[in-house]
Amino acid sequence: MNNKYKILLVEDESHIVNLVKALLELNGYKVISARSYVEAITLYASYIPDLVLLDLGLPDRDGTELLAEIRKQDSIPVIILSARGDEAEKVRSLDMGANDYITKPFGSAELVARVRSALRHSYQIGRASSVSDGVFRLDGLMIKYDSRQVFLDEKEIKLTQTEYNILALLSEHSGKMLTYSAIIKAIWRECCSDNSKKKLQVNMANIRKKLGINPGESKYIINELGVGYRMNGENR
Amino acid sequence: MRKFKKANINKILKSILIMLSSLILAFAAAHLLVDVFNIGGQVTALFIFVVFIVSVFTEGYVYGILTAVIGMLLVNYAFTFPYFEFNFSASENIMAALVMTALSVMTSTLTIRLKVLQRIKAEADMEILRANLLRAVSHDLRTPLTTIYGSSCAMFENYDNLNDGQKLELIKDIMEDSDWLIRMVENLLSITKIEDSKGSLNIIKTPVVLEEVIDSVIKKFKKRYPGIKLDIDIPQEVVVIPMDAILIEQVILNILENAVKHAHGMTRVKLLVYVNGDKAVFEISDDGCGIEKEKIGDIFLGQSNFENSGCDSSRRNAGIGLRVCSTIISAHGGKISCESKRDRGTVFKFFLYIDGDVDFE
Repeated sequence: MNNKYKILLVEDESHIVNLVKALLELNGYKVISARSYVEAITLYASYIPDLVLLDLGLPDRDGTELLAEIRKQDSIPVIILSARGDEAEKVRSLDMGANDYITKPFGSAELVARVRSALRHSYQIGRASSVSDGVFRLDGLMIKYDSRQVFLDEKEIKLTQTEYNILALLSEHSGKMLTYSAIIKAIWRECCSDNSKKKLQVNMANIRKKLGINPGESKYIINELGVGYRMNGENR
Repeated sequence: MRKFKKANINKILKSILIMLSSLILAFAAAHLLVDVFNIGGQVTALFIFVVFIVSVFTEGYVYGILTAVIGMLLVNYAFTFPYFEFNFSASENIMAALVMTALSVMTSTLTIRLKVLQRIKAEADMEILRANLLRAVSHDLRTPLTTIYGSSCAMFENYDNLNDGQKLELIKDIMEDSDWLIRMVENLLSITKIEDSKGSLNIIKTPVVLEEVIDSVIKKFKKRYPGIKLDIDIPQEVVVIPMDAILIEQVILNILENAVKHAHGMTRVKLLVYVNGDKAVFEISDDGCGIEKEKIGDIFLGQSNFENSGCDSSRRNAGIGLRVCSTIISAHGGKISCESKRDRGTVFKFFLYIDGDVDFE
């Protein structure tokens, strides 16, 4: 493939740059790297990348400023590289429009999978799970948006209004990480509080139960503790 | 922040309660002295005693001095001639007032000094614990770093002389030991996150559905140890527990990992959660080699000597991992314990308080 996806890597640690660059180039992507906010802005304008991998701790400015700057003009996928334990930071950057995040330290398979998934989600190319004719399909799961019905392996699953709304919302954004507050705002039109988070989790538990999913085995909805949920973006 | 304020209000209320009840008791006792025993001359002494008591058991100067003033007025008004009116001219009354106030100030000063000393002692103990931990950690860090540094150097310098099998072997060692380092650093981060500089524990609890945590635990465990069978038994109904989910997940993973790494001869590991009254009890059991009785006592202290315990002396990190577990659980107001039988296996058990109020829509 000579028309490679261009990825802008914004990171100031040279060892991590080497690593990520090697990994992504091995997988057929073209990588441009920037070490600071200023450099990233320049390279972004001249190369017009297809995806940005962004480390939040930049030497000159906070990485979220770059995210805000990109979101002002573009909807291209942005993946945050963040340290573990900073759930609040992850949530903040997701709510600011980042598509996903990868926790440092990360494994090679994880990095490549996230990049691929974000690209698919944004450019709809070769996307296995798809919405066509108002129907969402992912493995055995099928959602008919017009009649508000959910099927699992051809069998209809009876969901409550709220449960259906949550599932439909996740499926419409499949592949993208949705934070608790984003889901709560969309479903209940209210602010994210402890109580509404609890409500969401209880509904989620019921959805899993109705879909017959045991803990640890969910292949449709991925649960990121302390952050939110993501509908799987690819068939496996 | 709100919690801090609440604790402060509680403290003030408690002090006021101590002050009022002592005064009322003293007033009643003074009545007895005057009316029944007819020894009214000792009333002043009685109130001096009350001022002393209040100064000892309350914080700061305010309550002691307040008690002295009220006590002095009471004695003056009710128990000294002329009865039931204030008389500030009699020299003995003024003397009593001065003695009471001076006593209260002096006692309060002593009490405050004592409390400062106690705090300094607690801080020093904390410092010792911290230093021990630091020593254990530095020691534990050196081993994987030696492997990582040595293996990569060997490969960099002798790249052409090593065959593929040797290279793979070295790379695998680097991978495994750095994976271990990652886990170690996560544990250290958790400790620093919840223990502030004074050694008190700070966490932010949010209500979390148990299933979410278990789901995440299982997924991570399976990814790390695909070959190990993990039995799960959790309640069917929805259980909500106020907690920091990331930290509790780490506790469970640490204990599970401990079982995998240290319990030699283990064939299965089981995670059981059940509700008992207002508590959710977590039990993680293995059928491995067990831990020696003498070592269980300080298993949660994070001392480096734990590395030699049980039947397994090969691996490190158990100490620090369990210390993190106990810190996290106590920060949640729960309790963690460990039972073990030689050659039968080990059970780690901890509980957290649940949130009874579950609404469904």
